[in-house]
Amino acid sequence: MALAGCDIVSDPVQPSGNTVGPVEGIPRRVLLEDLTGHRCNNCPRAARVADGLATQYGDQLVIVGVHMVNGFAAPQNPIGDGIFDTDFRTPAGSAYEAAFQIEGLPMGMFNRFPFNGARAITDGAWPSAMAAAAGQEADLDIRFTSFTFNAANSSVSGEIEVTIAKPMEGTHDLVIYLTEDHVIDWQVDAQAPSPNVPDYEHRHVLRAVLNGTWGESVFEGSASAGDRFTRSFSYTLPTNVLESANCALVAYVAHRDSYEVKQVTERKFQP
Amino acid sequence: MSNRHFVKGGFLTFLLLSASGLVAQEGGRIHGNFSTDAQYYNVDSAIGAVVPAQRLAANAWANLIYTNGPFEAGGRFESYTPPLAGYPAGTPYSGSGIGYRYAKYRQDDLEVTVGNFFEQFGQGMIFRSYEERYLGVDNAMDGIRLKYMPVRGLHLKGFIGQQRLSFANQAVKGPGIVRGIDAEVSLRELLDTNWTSANNLIIGGGFVSKYQEDRDPSLVLPQNVAAWALRANFTTPRWNVYAEYARKVNDPNSRNGFIYKEGQGLLVNATYSVRGFGLSMGAHSFDNMLFQSDRAAPTPFDLNINFLPPLAKQHTYNLPATLYPYATQPNGEVSAQGELFYKWKKGTKLGGKYGTKVAVNYSVAHALDTTRLGAVDDTTSRLGYRTAFLSPGHRRYFQDLNVEVRKRVSSTWEFALTYLNVWYDIDIIQGKPGEAPVHADILILEGLHNFTERNSVRFEVQHLSTREDHGNWATALAEFTFSPHWFVAAMDQFNYVGSEKLEAKGYEALHYPVGSVGYIRGGNRFQVNYGRQRAGIFCVGGVCRQVPAANGLTLSITSTF
Repeated sequence: MALAGCDIVSDPVQPSGNTVGPVEGIPRRVLLEDLTGHRCNNCPRAARVADGLATQYGDQLVIVGVHMVNGFAAPQNPIGDGIFDTDFRTPAGSAYEAAFQIEGLPMGMFNRFPFNGARAITDGAWPSAMAAAAGQEADLDIRFTSFTFNAANSSVSGEIEVTIAKPMEGTHDLVIYLTEDHVIDWQVDAQAPSPNVPDYEHRHVLRAVLNGTWGESVFEGSASAGDRFTRSFSYTLPTNVLESANCALVAYVAHRDSYEVKQVTERKFQP
Repeated sequence: MSNRHFVKGGFLTFLLLSASGLVAQEGGRIHGNFSTDAQYYNVDSAIGAVVPAQRLAANAWANLIYTNGPFEAGGRFESYTPPLAGYPAGTPYSGSGIGYRYAKYRQDDLEVTVGNFFEQFGQGMIFRSYEERYLGVDNAMDGIRLKYMPVRGLHLKGFIGQQRLSFANQAVKGPGIVRGIDAEVSLRELLDTNWTSANNLIIGGGFVSKYQEDRDPSLVLPQNVAAWALRANFTTPRWNVYAEYARKVNDPNSRNGFIYKEGQGLLVNATYSVRGFGLSMGAHSFDNMLFQSDRAAPTPFDLNINFLPPLAKQHTYNLPATLYPYATQPNGEVSAQGELFYKWKKGTKLGGKYGTKVAVNYSVAHALDTTRLGAVDDTTSRLGYRTAFLSPGHRRYFQDLNVEVRKRVSSTWEFALTYLNVWYDIDIIQGKPGEAPVHADILILEGLHNFTERNSVRFEVQHLSTREDHGNWATALAEFTFSPHWFVAAMDQFNYVGSEKLEAKGYEALHYPVGSVGYIRGGNRFQVNYGRQRAGIFCVGGVCRQVPAANGLTLSITSTF
């Protein structure tokens, strides 16, 4: 039994890393919601795991950093000293925190689908969860059929088309996130030589949801292969956006009851 | 979510039907208990109080156990609608349902348990399955367990199953499988000699292994991870000496940074006691010994296979117990503790008319002395670090020197005076990087006065001074007991900061008053609290969870039958 219950690994590194084979039909991209906070000391470690996955999986993975949990994400007193003053939280992020019972950070959700019994999982499980989620065939596809950004009035507008590839059941919603990348601000980083880092690069920060916290219905009841749905959007960027050139829209379709994300796509303002 | 993660609901029905059948046939006995904690939350922005959307939260548990001769079956109903703020310590609980159910019987020297069970090998260094309800820690096994005694004095155990992760209308199990065997020999039971009538030597050894599928695309993760331990416990009428050594093979996991280094641990405790005098000494060293059945368990509280006991006094007074309690650092610490107890007899110069007790306790915990292995190659760097066993590093995590003098001064008055000097690495213990270590002096006076045989008052006055963290605290408590049914208590914790530097950082003086009324009758106990609850740490056995600030009304009821 001792021999049977014990694997000694002498060479820990997989010989060829990960490769996802070709997928028949439409590849299902993966949404990673990186649940984070600027005063969460281990969150930068998780962000580095996410960066590594982005390098490995390319455009199969879409990452959004959602700041939440007051103990980690609330601005730090005294307000006005410029240190941890920024409030990265959003009403939507707080709603997700409550709905998914997030109390500790860092956590991540891959397509909001449970892995090893939990929807929100720690960064140690992210490579395995990503390997499990990647390489699947999608039930639908999403694409931006038009996209316009007007710098003069900081507004973005366009149209999204959802194409059903396989018969689907249940109410599904389209949610459109606004994210901003490369935001330089304070962050606690347990792995940094000095943990309070004033110029940390925050990636893929969720700034707002264009069409309501839980989005808008795409179809209810059922949909058949070949069905197409279009939704238009028009939105003025909120004042918390620092640099519109670093922004992107992330659109995904999720099952209303299970929250599972069926497909996601990202449109950067400057591709 | 896959069904395999859930307890099958029909199992309990089967057990209860079986039980009712047995009642009809032979008559058995059913007993149980119920407890609930419900809290109504008020908005209180001054302390950043948590207010759930539902405003009212309630935890509840009810155990039902049926016994009939060698047969026993039971179950536990649980309800978290929603759970109290900050509960549980690990992965969230929600909903109502059956969280624990089992059946067991004994046939001669064999005991068979199916369903849920708690178990422990030795002091738990390689395996401990347990529940600490008010902490919100429950890693109950679900599977089978056998206990067998082939000869008197030789105890064999074996089990296999999965651990409870959380609760969502029913118990949710973790992904790993845990299996283990243990053998223990007790000379007192085995041999009938003069020596064993007064002394005993117990020797044991255990082996535990976990299985979890490897789906990692970049690392070769061991799917089967084993740990073993040897232990000995020597007792005489005055001495009790216990030693246990454990070793764990490569167990890369999210909390050790996915390193492949082996883990090992040693703990030694010795106590000597005679009437009026006691001495205990202990030391332990843990190196990479966190052992969870999911290598990426959501929190450090989830799916722990083993338990590493802390070597520090578990204080019960409010300020030292909830502000700066120590929690074992399972991935690396060297710790030691000594405690001396002495009682001056009645009629001596220091003992006076009623005697005087004094207890001195010292504990210290350091990081391991480690050398990080460089990136010579992936295999070497994946070993993480090198360390000499039992070798403390320079970084001190914790130190506590405390002295307690307890004296009865008359037939109706008793006092206890306690002083603590605490050094607390809040960066490591509470995960607050960059925060300066807390150095606190705490002075506590406790008094107990009996008005009559039935009515008494107990009071505490506590003061904590520190220039770090939240600064100074003062606490006053008075608790009146009107036996056998009523008690009334009031407490105020006053964080008056007392440091310009801290006040400049935004800390303000705050009171945390709370009042309690309790009523006990028969097997039922009711308690109502109203007031502010400050954010703090709640620990049991060296396992600690964060408690958020709250303001509101709490009702607690316990009942047994």
